[in-house]
Amino acid sequence: MDWSSVSEVAIPHPREIQVAVVEWLDERYPFTKSVDEALYQRVPNFANAFYYCFGGMVFILIVLQLLTGILLSLYYVPDATGIPAPAYTSVQFIQNTVYLGWLIRGVHFWGANLLIIMVLLHMARVYWTGSYRAPRELNWMVGVVMLLLILAFSLTGYLLPWDQKAYFATEVTIKIAGLPPPPQLGEFIREILQGGPVVGPPTLQRFFTIHVFLLPALITLLMYVHFRFIRAHGISEPM
Amino acid sequence: MADSTAPARFTRRTFLGWWMAGLLTATVVVGLAPILVYLWPAPPKGQKKLPVTVALDKPLDQLANGEAVKFDAPTSPNTAFIMANGGGDNAPGALAFGGFAVKDTNGKPHVFAINCSHLGCPIAVNTTDSTFDCPCHGSRFHLDGTVLHGPATAPLSDLSWKQGSDPKTIVVDGLELGF
Repeated sequence: MDWSSVSEVAIPHPREIQVAVVEWLDERYPFTKSVDEALYQRVPNFANAFYYCFGGMVFILIVLQLLTGILLSLYYVPDATGIPAPAYTSVQFIQNTVYLGWLIRGVHFWGANLLIIMVLLHMARVYWTGSYRAPRELNWMVGVVMLLLILAFSLTGYLLPWDQKAYFATEVTIKIAGLPPPPQLGEFIREILQGGPVVGPPTLQRFFTIHVFLLPALITLLMYVHFRFIRAHGISEPM
Repeated sequence: MADSTAPARFTRRTFLGWWMAGLLTATVVVGLAPILVYLWPAPPKGQKKLPVTVALDKPLDQLANGEAVKFDAPTSPNTAFIMANGGGDNAPGALAFGGFAVKDTNGKPHVFAINCSHLGCPIAVNTTDSTFDCPCHGSRFHLDGTVLHGPATAPLSDLSWKQGSDPKTIVVDGLELGF
């Protein structure tokens, strides 16, 4: 092949295309400036230790949970009526029939387990380095609320497969939630959670709605608040 | 960029640039491929064609001329009927979840899919006029399946059927849905 002729062909370097696109965008809105302001932050040397990454890992895991959760919701049917219930059979369907369904559900399942471990490690790191101290108390509080949200995610998500383990685990947790005295209050809490006198289809509907609509919205909001606080305070120096 | 007036040349740098761009694209594609695989419709499980035995409310040979009985596709296991022919919204091979066994006014027996040939609504028998009427857009059919009144233009779809061993039953070509 005669490469001397090829070398005369005007094939642009990919970067020229990239620059052209970014310039077109920047003329209409300062994207580069916004992205730079958001991302180009100097990381102090003391924050280079691996245990400062736990929070970021939690963030990545949450994004992964949201993504796989959306994918699972394409096939999952939150209906506990009938035997076998569609909630149960749809999980079996995802697991056994849908292409790579086992993989997506596996990532969601193990991601949830890992998420709790990483959240606790992150919390331990914050405690260890004293990052909860003034003026960062509010961020610690937001973090604690998010820990509770993650636990609520786990609790509500555990019921969704609607198998024996899911059912009786929820039976137990609702029983615990209904313990506070006076008995009338406990009864009230239990009925509110169950959506009826026993753990049944309304319970699954409630837990599904909490798991899929309420909690993701709340945690996304709180993550934003958490990150804005971090940017406002900077990474805390170790004690 | 500085000497943009110079003719662009396919340099080693350009080649490596495209090579890297290709690698990046490939990485993204490989990363997203499992999601596309996951979104692809799962194979119908245990779906198979089979003759479906249907018990009629009234045996076909006892129907008076101009009388029709409605029947539904059996649901355990879930089945559907396969249309033998059809025009408009219906087509040969399309599924129907019910039908009518009918003796037309000349005494000839027919078995029709329940779907109107206009837009597929379930038709109903009009006992006063001895017609099939569609509740959706007012199409009407004679009991032999031909159009009496639009908007439908095509006749009703036949189901392939034969008399069952029990005179109260007919056997219709159908499909076990597998869910």
